[in-house]
Amino acid sequence: MPGQITLQEWDQRYEQLRKAGLHQPDYSGPLSRHVEDGDTRLLKLRYDNSAAALRLWNFLLTEEDRLHKARAEGKKLVGTMKDLGTIPVMAYSLDNLVAFYPDGAWWIPCVMELNTGLLKIADKLGIDESFCPVRAMLGAFLTGAHFPIPDLLTCSVGATCDDFSAIAQRLNGLGYPILWWEIPHRHPPEPDEAAVKLPGGFSAPKSQVEFVESQLQHIKTAFEDLSGQRLDEKKLSTGIKKANKVRTYLAELRQLAFTAPQCPMPALEMLIAEMLAIHFCSDRNETIVVLKGLLEEVKARVRAGIGFLSPDAARIFWVNPVADLQVMNLFEDCGGRICGTEYLFTHALDAIPQDLPPTEALAQMALADPMVGSSIDRASRICNDVRIFGAEALLISRIPGASHCALEGQIIGEIVRDKLNIPVVELEVPPLTDSIRPALRTRLEALVETVRARRKK
Amino acid sequence: MICAGIDAGSRTIKIVLIEADTLKVITKGLTDQGVEQDKLTSGLFRKLLKNSGIDKKDVGRIIATGYGRNAVSIADTTITEITCHAVGVRYLVPDAETIIDIGGEDSKLIRLDRSGRVRDFAMNDRCAAGTGRFLEVVARRLGVDIGSLGRMAAKSHSPAPISSMCVVFAETEIIGLLASGTAREDIIAGVQAAIAARVTALTGRNIDLPIVFTGGVAMVSGMDTALQSALGQTVTVSPDPQMTGALGAAILAAKHITHY
Repeated sequence: MPGQITLQEWDQRYEQLRKAGLHQPDYSGPLSRHVEDGDTRLLKLRYDNSAAALRLWNFLLTEEDRLHKARAEGKKLVGTMKDLGTIPVMAYSLDNLVAFYPDGAWWIPCVMELNTGLLKIADKLGIDESFCPVRAMLGAFLTGAHFPIPDLLTCSVGATCDDFSAIAQRLNGLGYPILWWEIPHRHPPEPDEAAVKLPGGFSAPKSQVEFVESQLQHIKTAFEDLSGQRLDEKKLSTGIKKANKVRTYLAELRQLAFTAPQCPMPALEMLIAEMLAIHFCSDRNETIVVLKGLLEEVKARVRAGIGFLSPDAARIFWVNPVADLQVMNLFEDCGGRICGTEYLFTHALDAIPQDLPPTEALAQMALADPMVGSSIDRASRICNDVRIFGAEALLISRIPGASHCALEGQIIGEIVRDKLNIPVVELEVPPLTDSIRPALRTRLEALVETVRARRKK
Repeated sequence: MICAGIDAGSRTIKIVLIEADTLKVITKGLTDQGVEQDKLTSGLFRKLLKNSGIDKKDVGRIIATGYGRNAVSIADTTITEITCHAVGVRYLVPDAETIIDIGGEDSKLIRLDRSGRVRDFAMNDRCAAGTGRFLEVVARRLGVDIGSLGRMAAKSHSPAPISSMCVVFAETEIIGLLASGTAREDIIAGVQAAIAARVTALTGRNIDLPIVFTGGVAMVSGMDTALQSALGQTVTVSPDPQMTGALGAAILAAKHITHY
């Protein structure tokens, strides 16, 4: 039966599964071993009890090993900063490049419960708590303890987060060369401009698509120089097809998880799974296998009509990822169920067009990023998805210091309230929520109470 | 049958006992919050029962709310203060559509629909600058009783501008204002305006009327005026503002009994 178990319970279950002949990849093992690496937050989380979830967690928590192994095998590492699902597709089109997402360091203060001092390093560099927790990335670069220093660093700039641009510039100033590429603020085409309909439904002037395409050409050239291979259209097209496989699995997973009568997969595992869309956790092919396993588990549960959470759980659409993973457990404890998400990279869940020249297709995807357009665009997509997944309320989770969260929450909230007439609540989730748990619980419980009260005629 | 609502707030514990059928308040009381809050709550509850000649077995249901609700062992269940304030205020002011609740450690804005159900809510989760804590800090710094703040603020002709969004920095500003000879009355009025401004940030662009002000800070005179000024709308102080959460909890307890 599906259920959520503690880390200690997972170790017992792991032994049972192993003795029963569970086939797992070489990075597998009992989850508790990651605590020895300092990932102490894991002790406080509750996990889905399926073998597919075990594989997902082990895949996530062994990324650093994978990167070192890739380097030892002679592959080149590319750090793709502030890029939500475009450049990794290009990098993985070459068989001797491995892309990863240094921004992912924003979760280290949570997972290691502030024990690494990464935020203190950022503080000393002048990037204090008025910035997004992604500033932990600076500390990760300086200590070199959480990922190998990549052979090439790319970073999108322009219509991206102000925080991140400042942090990346600071990193650059510390002697880490960065290959910048520019993404313009997406705006609707003027009447006299040639327009392009982007994946996901937004439109942009053709000139913007062409501009981004030119930026991606620079990246392509850099990748060719780094890898010593030509990144031709055929390779890029194959890379796009593989990325679309990831996106297809995720789309199906989301549809089932958010709409099945019984919730078939917890919010926490769904969050981790969705994140794979943007970075592939340093192994695109294994990402496909991991997601396929998770999807099969979910399908089996849906077919059997089993799941967990109370059937009357409040169906909530969640906006922005949380800095503290434990909040997803807390949310479910309070009677909530995730029915739709917008974790800042909805575009990376849409299929990349396969009927266009590949660089143009990728340029369109980059411009479809909800964060490079107006908040009204972002709210519009959220409204559509709330309708699709039948959510009863919207929860906007702010990331402390993240400029887009501070500015966009109110706008999104007002638009959703006006268009859909559903409750909208904002809360702030710092990397460790232990000290504010009662206050967070109150907000989450109150939202669930509000949803349930609205169901009564 | 009698029902009880307990609001275990951050600064005080409030209890209301009502007649389940008529919702008539039988008795109510409050005590300061402390480390042993469960003991304090039980003590207050026993005292109210004794003073009113009520036997514990006549109390059919107890609902706890407020920050410390989960630590109240005598409660049958818990409901958040958002829901309880909404029910309590709506009972007292039946046409209320917006509730502003300022307590000791937080402030919240609750939007109601026409039927009185919570539409949604917003809470100040960033600092103490929009809460009763700010007033306490100011009263201590100025060496005056918190109960006299409103009276003093009413004498202000030129409220001092308080620009800091943080209570700690605002305290520093207050020291500077005192050193420069600013009247205490003007400082207090400035602080009230700063709290009101902080709270209005929760409202967004639209606010539905009528607005009802509740929570312990609603009892500090002058705060309603400061809120009215910041919002540009009439603000009505709820009857018995400190007890609305406990009253709402008691009413919900009564509804539980009558529904089952």
